[in-house]
Amino acid sequence: MKISTAEYFITESLNSIRRNGLMSLASLMTVALSLLILGVFIILVMNLNHMASVLESQVQVTVYLQDSLKDVEVREIGTRITKLPGVTRVNFIAKEEAMNRFKKRLGEQQGLLAELGEANPLPNSFEVKLDRPDRVKPVALAIAQLKGVEAARYGQEVVEQLFSLTRMVRIFGMVLILFLGLAALFIIVNTIRLTVFARRREIGIMKYVGATDWFIRWPFIIEGVLLGFLGACIAILPLTQFYSMLTGQVYESLAFLPLLPKYPFMGYVNTFLLCAGIGIGALGSVISVKKFLKV
Amino acid sequence: MIHLNEVTKVFDDGFVALSNVSLKIGKGEFAFVVGPSGAGKSTLIKLLFREQLVSAGEIIVNGRNLTELQPQEIPYFRRSLGIVFQDFRLLPDKNCYENVAFAMRVIEASRRDIQRRVKHVLDLVGLLPKAKIYPAQLSGGEQQRVAIARAIVNNPAVLIADEPTGNLDPETTWETMRIFERINQSGTTILMVTHDKPIVDQMMKRVIALENGRITRDESKGVYGYED
Repeated sequence: MKISTAEYFITESLNSIRRNGLMSLASLMTVALSLLILGVFIILVMNLNHMASVLESQVQVTVYLQDSLKDVEVREIGTRITKLPGVTRVNFIAKEEAMNRFKKRLGEQQGLLAELGEANPLPNSFEVKLDRPDRVKPVALAIAQLKGVEAARYGQEVVEQLFSLTRMVRIFGMVLILFLGLAALFIIVNTIRLTVFARRREIGIMKYVGATDWFIRWPFIIEGVLLGFLGACIAILPLTQFYSMLTGQVYESLAFLPLLPKYPFMGYVNTFLLCAGIGIGALGSVISVKKFLKV
Repeated sequence: MIHLNEVTKVFDDGFVALSNVSLKIGKGEFAFVVGPSGAGKSTLIKLLFREQLVSAGEIIVNGRNLTELQPQEIPYFRRSLGIVFQDFRLLPDKNCYENVAFAMRVIEASRRDIQRRVKHVLDLVGLLPKAKIYPAQLSGGEQQRVAIARAIVNNPAVLIADEPTGNLDPETTWETMRIFERINQSGTTILMVTHDKPIVDQMMKRVIALENGRITRDESKGVYGYED
């Protein structure tokens, strides 16, 4: 491509934006609004997803041991659990430690335990952490088979419900993002089609004098990319502002809620929105011009 | 230059626009195509421009067989043709100079070539003094001359004109025809579709008559032949 041609493309697209000032502004705001909504949903879905995986990773297997075991046997069981696939950490909780924790949890009501006197009915146990949440079930089953193990618990029903919930959030979120993206594309195609329609004579003449299809497309693509890019910028500003406010508030008053930290998360979201704006703008132009190139 | 060999064009709805048309127009010729509306004249132009494809037969323009032309070759083929329409089709937001230069810019000519050629063709059609004027401020005849300048600025071997004088009064019609004649004298083949009886009768050029998609008459020094 010659430099003078590139220059021509850029002036043409800038002229076109200026000529259709109101229309350009309308498509700019439409893009910005669509991307803003898309951004809000991405933030929502990604955070739900993040919360789901935090909850998932907190799932662990608790292994209760028989009371009659000797220390050697307990250690033996510990090493065998460590060797199971997917196990990342094994913590031994002695029965005394278990009792302390129990007391702490009861808080002011620990008087209830006075009846027991010196007796400690709680068993020795292991807390087993795993690398992937979907390994919880098979690992728990394998541990339960070991000699000397009384039981291996992981809150079966809760975990399974959690898994189906997180799966739903992920699928639903992806579908939603896809649909919002398509809606934004549809709106841009329609607005750019108006500017293309206004210039259909020009396109016809270009075709007759032997301009290639790509030569005709370029100014429109640049126009679409510019509108998409600017629209994304307009969407990004309030979105970033909103998210830093949200995380600030949550960290102060709802610290247990695991929100994704602003950095680098918003960087990814903004990059995605910019790329989406540019891509949607370019694609929208190509689709809009297509019909008028058949001369 | 233009060679139609048993060309038939049938539209999707079954309408036969051209039926078994054979025609040869040599280099440097000036030919009128006449006939009632619906005879297939517009279809002929669309086929010559490869806007549409023949249903049967073959068309060779400028040594290129249009039936074999790949879609991506069409723009390059069209650069060897010039076209003038009845309604001028100038761009209202560009002045005369820019309208003509536009045809060179879209085929990526160099800036220097553009300046030289555009001045030359505007001079040829007598509009160099009005280069900075916008189409809306020009008379119909002047607008058509700008359109002619645009059609010839890329030095086409063939100039096709679709009723170029249809919107002009008799006096400007003659002015325009003199320009066409001058272009023809410099070696450009001209094919002109027209309903203008006086110019056909007086210019004594080749006349090809189309009726119902067939050639009914082809005379080397013909007349219009219809009463209207």
